[in-house]
Amino acid sequence: MEFLRRALNPWGQDVPIGVSWDLIWAAVIIGAVFVVGHALMVPKKVGTGEIDPDEARGLPEKLQRHTVGARGFHWSMSAAMFVLLITAFFPVVGIQFPWVTIHWIAGVLLILTVLYHIYHVFAKQDFWAMWIGRRDIEEGKQGLKAALGRPGAKRPRAAKYPVDQKMFHHAATIVTIGAVVTGVLMMFRIDNFLLPQNMYLFSDSVWGWIYVIHGVCGIGLIFLVIAHVYFAIRPEKRWMTWSMINGWIDRDRYLENHDPERWVVGERGAVGELEGSGGGGGGTGQPALSDKA
Amino acid sequence: MAVMRDMIPPFELFQPAGVDDAVRLMREHGDKGWVLAGGLDTFDWFKDRIKRPEAVIDLGGVDELKGIAVGDDGELEIGAMTSLTEVAENGDVRSGYPLLAEAAGLVATPQIRNQGTLGGNIIQDTRCWYYRSGWPCYRAGGNICYAATPRSMNREHCIVGASRCVAVNPSDTAPALIALDAEMVVASTGGERTYPAEDFFIGPDIDIERMTVLEPGDLLTRIRLPAPWSGARWYFEKIRDRKAWDFSLVSVASMVNVEGGVIRDARIVVNGIAPYPVRATAAERAATGQAPSDETGQAAGEIAVRGARALRHNDYKIALTRNLVKRAIRDAA
Amino acid sequence: MAENVIGTDISPPDLRAKITGQARYAEDFHAEGMVFAKLLLSPMPHARVLGVDASAALAMEGVLGILRADELPVQAEGTREGALTDEPKYEGEPILAVAAVDETTAAAAVEAIRVDLEPLPFVLDPLDSLREGGPDAQLGGNMAGRGELTSLKWPASVFEEAGADRLPMGEAPVEWAIGDIDAGFAEANVVVEETIVHQSVTHHPMEPRSCMAYWQNGKLFLHGSTQSTERTRGNVARMAGVEPDDVVFIGEYCGGGFGSKISGSPIMAVPAVLSRKIGRPVMLRITRYEENYIGRARAGFQGWAKLGFRADGRMTALDLYLVQDSGPYGASDFFTAGTVATASYQPENMRFRGVAILTNTPPRSAQRAPGGAQIVAMLEPLVDKAARELDIDRLEIRKINAPDSDDGWLGAQQGRFTSAYVREALDLGGELFGWEEKKQLSGQRNGTKVTGVGIGLSPFTAGSTGRDGLLVIRPDGKLYVHQGIGNLGTHSIADTARPAADVLDLSWDQVVIVWGDTSKHLPYSTVQAGSQTTHAHTRANHAAATAMVVLLQELAARELGGSPSSYRVADGRVFRAGNRAAGMSFGEAARVAMELGGKFSGGEYPEDLHDATKAAVAGLAGEGLIAAARDNYERAGSVYTWVATFAQVELDVETGEVEIIDLASATDCGTVMHPRSLAGQTNGGVFQGIGMAKGQRWVFDPKWGIPFTKRFYTARPPGMLDVPPRPRFAAVDKADPYTPVGAKGIGEPPVGAGEAAYVCAVADAMGGLCLCRTPLTADMILAELEGRPRPYGLLDTHV
Ligand SMILES: Cc1cc2nc3c(=O)[nH]c(=O)nc-3n(C[C@H](O)[C@H](O)[C@H](O)COP(=O)(O)OP(=O)(O)OC[C@H]3O[C@@H](n4cnc5c(N)ncnc54)[C@H](O)[C@@H]3O)c2cc1C
Ligand code: SF4
Repeated sequence: MEFLRRALNPWGQDVPIGVSWDLIWAAVIIGAVFVVGHALMVPKKVGTGEIDPDEARGLPEKLQRHTVGARGFHWSMSAAMFVLLITAFFPVVGIQFPWVTIHWIAGVLLILTVLYHIYHVFAKQDFWAMWIGRRDIEEGKQGLKAALGRPGAKRPRAAKYPVDQKMFHHAATIVTIGAVVTGVLMMFRIDNFLLPQNMYLFSDSVWGWIYVIHGVCGIGLIFLVIAHVYFAIRPEKRWMTWSMINGWIDRDRYLENHDPERWVVGERGAVGELEGSGGGGGGTGQPALSDKA
Repeated sequence: MAVMRDMIPPFELFQPAGVDDAVRLMREHGDKGWVLAGGLDTFDWFKDRIKRPEAVIDLGGVDELKGIAVGDDGELEIGAMTSLTEVAENGDVRSGYPLLAEAAGLVATPQIRNQGTLGGNIIQDTRCWYYRSGWPCYRAGGNICYAATPRSMNREHCIVGASRCVAVNPSDTAPALIALDAEMVVASTGGERTYPAEDFFIGPDIDIERMTVLEPGDLLTRIRLPAPWSGARWYFEKIRDRKAWDFSLVSVASMVNVEGGVIRDARIVVNGIAPYPVRATAAERAATGQAPSDETGQAAGEIAVRGARALRHNDYKIALTRNLVKRAIRDAA
Repeated sequence: MAENVIGTDISPPDLRAKITGQARYAEDFHAEGMVFAKLLLSPMPHARVLGVDASAALAMEGVLGILRADELPVQAEGTREGALTDEPKYEGEPILAVAAVDETTAAAAVEAIRVDLEPLPFVLDPLDSLREGGPDAQLGGNMAGRGELTSLKWPASVFEEAGADRLPMGEAPVEWAIGDIDAGFAEANVVVEETIVHQSVTHHPMEPRSCMAYWQNGKLFLHGSTQSTERTRGNVARMAGVEPDDVVFIGEYCGGGFGSKISGSPIMAVPAVLSRKIGRPVMLRITRYEENYIGRARAGFQGWAKLGFRADGRMTALDLYLVQDSGPYGASDFFTAGTVATASYQPENMRFRGVAILTNTPPRSAQRAPGGAQIVAMLEPLVDKAARELDIDRLEIRKINAPDSDDGWLGAQQGRFTSAYVREALDLGGELFGWEEKKQLSGQRNGTKVTGVGIGLSPFTAGSTGRDGLLVIRPDGKLYVHQGIGNLGTHSIADTARPAADVLDLSWDQVVIVWGDTSKHLPYSTVQAGSQTTHAHTRANHAAATAMVVLLQELAARELGGSPSSYRVADGRVFRAGNRAAGMSFGEAARVAMELGGKFSGGEYPEDLHDATKAAVAGLAGEGLIAAARDNYERAGSVYTWVATFAQVELDVETGEVEIIDLASATDCGTVMHPRSLAGQTNGGVFQGIGMAKGQRWVFDPKWGIPFTKRFYTARPPGMLDVPPRPRFAAVDKADPYTPVGAKGIGEPPVGAGEAAYVCAVADAMGGLCLCRTPLTADMILAELEGRPRPYGLLDTHV
């Protein structure tokens, strides 16, 4: 299997022109192997069931995990992403339709949602909530041991975002940024009303690598989406999936999965994250859903 | 590695005797196989070593793909391997479908018409010279259109229907067949399918590497023409730089039904302006119900080029298309 | 008496072979053990070869070796071109050659070679190179000045001043003047001024320059395609690094050259040197694709002209500025252009300025009327413009300014012409065409079509002197005319032998022409360029035949008594005046000559012969009665031919298409030697010119510097259907007084005439609007008629 598609440019120079489409299948296969492997190896434990009544005291029934804005971002981003992936890869695998315009418009929408997300994170949320700190690493190790059923290993409780979710977020961020940045540049190569067409903005090989990166990121996203969807539908994670739909989680799930020290639900019934938040501790807490209701 | 041109590399030659055999061979070799009809498009690619199939399936010996026959309902069936000369000179084509005879008769030169087939002429690849030079453009699987930059030499390229690729369909018979509402009969190991001529051609928005719906393994067997429109007027014109050996800059084919001095029905198709032959439906609608006059033609022509966008060097195609559509209505005989 | 053959139609001796396919061109020859070579062409318009890895190719079965540039005796340097190069200066320039047992293997071997190239700056448009900071076509500069490269740049102000609508005109390295240009314009009642572009076009001869070579006993045998046989041998010798005596050059037929194969081609070095290297005969078949690169091209001009006329139609001033696109190795068209303009218009005052700039496009060479065709096509529409303003008939204004035999003059030196029956040619053409009636049709509209009529008057050089003739009468009684000239597709190989038959009063079927193989003892000849051949070799053969008559007379007197002057020569006999029986046949004379030896049979010969001829005579010595002579006839002035072509066109205003309805040409080329052949040459040249004006193209991608018009169907030279089926033709047929036969050349002048007539007719159909560029394609015309944006910039080249 080739990793790159290469060609001789008009001057006979060997340049990359894109990633090999075989990698699509590689991503799908790796995704499938991962899913199947994970499903077989990791038992479907629905929570630890251990809830400390002390901790529950003073907490509302429903705790907000995702604001409307955050959920709006997630779903519009994923819609854009699905459209992007479908328009990108269906034609390659033989399901043909006029995809270019849809693809770049979806790309533009994706960029808008990402921009909104960035704004939202900085203005409304705690930027550091996604940071992977020392304790996350510890949590990860523990979690892995627990997942693999090591004797004595107990699944640790997480901050607002469990470390695997954080890792997914960062992987998705990297490939999305890769795809977005290269995608924007690639818009110079197609006819659109946003950017002037300029085929020769970069040299052939630079363009080639841009296409390669875009392709790699796109294919990476296939894998990530497979993994993401898989986890979203796993029974023990469905409460999280629901929270992305309705915004809240119930108190038990909170206490079962989250470490109240690391994800502090504030006095005013707010949910906040302290750990690693630098000087801004708790200041960015959001009102619990129950307040609103 | 250095580039070599004008020297056909070796390949394995297959000479099936029947459609079944041909289709089987085509399937067997998939995208490593190449169907050879008259060779006038094919050999250009081979000579320049740009397309390098492993197996060439020569249809020259498949007699069932040759010839012209009138069916029970007055429809006409033309085998894909029928030579353009025969199409241009056949009595039934000339009397029933003079539009097609004229279009076929204006292709290239007598030698090319003797050798070139109707099927090959319809299916032939674009003549975009960037692509034909072996440059790795979109159509060749690359990531760039060399013809669409502000300095590109794109006088022959398209004014509508572009989607990354701005090449045009070069066939003269294709617009005539669409105007005549022909059907394309396609065989594959999966059986036979038919497509209206209009749907047979695809644009780069759908597949940037193909000009028609045919996929590896698909064989165009026959072109079926519905019974002639009685009393219809027709028009064909191709504009080119030379009187022979030359592709159209723009061509127009039309069938116009005039009753009581008024156009009842019209099919107008323009080629050379898009990656596929373009049916000027808006112009057809505008002309319907009107007298086939200069004014009707002018108005329809204007409508036909609405939305057309010129590249750096092909603005003239907008005026030319407008004028040819006008003529197709005004001068249809 | 044998019928005089001059002025009658004959079948040239090569005709049958050509039309039956028996004629063998270079590529049709095979030699024992012959192998094939293929070229590796540069993929970049300008680059340096950093390294070549041919190991994979050389390891392939059947591959016999490669040839690199540094193995050639003549290597590329500055403006000297090599057959191969390590610094390719145009895309397609050969870098190396591979020999293999067959072409399939050779091609695969070329593909397996890895060439490491460093791209260098390149330029396609001379004006880009003239800008400060603009790229130069060669590392050493952009201009070839006396063998050395220099770089010429114009300050930005020159370009700013010119703006978008005018040719920038900075310092011109070449400048000459006649009279006072300012005074000329001051005197003018009408002044016209235009910026004009004339394209560069490739030659596209039907036969590509394939060649085959082998060595035997240290002698190189080379089969190739050339315009001039004898003058190719030395060239081949130089390229192979041997003495001319060690070269046998064979080229009996030439499928067209048009100036691109004057004395062979640089590429001939490849099979010559490669076959020596590998010890096998090597055939190099040049494909159409390769021919497009190495096959030469006409230099294009970006020009500006300002013409002043008095109310009476006389041209008082002509101011010309030409920027020439010289390709990578230079061209001299622009020198000729200014001179040719004087032969058309005899301007009372004139200034010529020119600059020739190197570009990274395939090499230029003479192309049928180099410089002449361009300038005629550029200026004739401007003359029409002035005529309109002055309300003078367009035929008349040409006659007013045309030179005549008495006081016509040429070029900066203002030398005389040997003859100039230009007004006669214009009148004759006008009559033939029906100018008086046809000009009434100008601007008439029929449906969507508008009629236009135009005239193109085109002068070009048409002769030279001082070549040698060599004749042998053999014991078979036939006259063998040894021709060092080539058989370049015209009939000159036969036609220039006719004076010999006429002088000897011999019937044409008794004449054998010996040509096409330098081992056949060929005399020193002209290069077949500049339309010299007819003039030069009717003279040389006339001189040799006259010498032959003297020899025959002397020989007869010696054998049969009496004084030489009492003998006559006719019908293959030399006999006493008034008594045919008292004499001997040519066959007998030949036998006697062989016995006598000495001056009768090549043992002695005139001292003024060229060395090549002396060697040829020595080689023939003893084989018959041999006469060789140098052309020492007087020539007072420059030999020029004029062709006037008249065209009628119909322009479709809805499509921009132009159809040529009628064409008629008339020429002053002196005595008509061969009417059919003259008509063929004239009409052929006219068509070639029309092709340049109408649609032949040479298009490059500006970003990559690569041409697309590499095949006929993209380059679009004209076809038979693009011209009317019956173009008409007539000749003034007045002998040039300074040449014994009276004939001048015809090869080149028709090109400009056809081209100019066409552009003038199109301008006429557009109401006198000159688009002032070639090619003048339908898209440009339609854009203009429709008031849409012009498809190309005013000064754009290669469109
Ligand atoms: C110099 C030149 C000028 C020309 N000018 C014109 C012109 O003015 N107008 C014009 O319309 N055309 C023109 N042509 C095109 C020419 O007329 C031929 O029609 C065309 O090249 C292809 O026909 P062919 O029979 O030679 O097919 P081929 O070259 O053998 O095949 C063409 C393509 O069709 C495929 N194919 C052929 N038959 C079938 C089939 N039955 N089923 C599936 N696939 C098939 C082949 O695989 C190939 O991809 C020109 C060609 C040349 C070389
Ligand atoms: S127009 Fe189409 S075929 Fe031509 S270079 Fe662009 S993508 Fe390739």
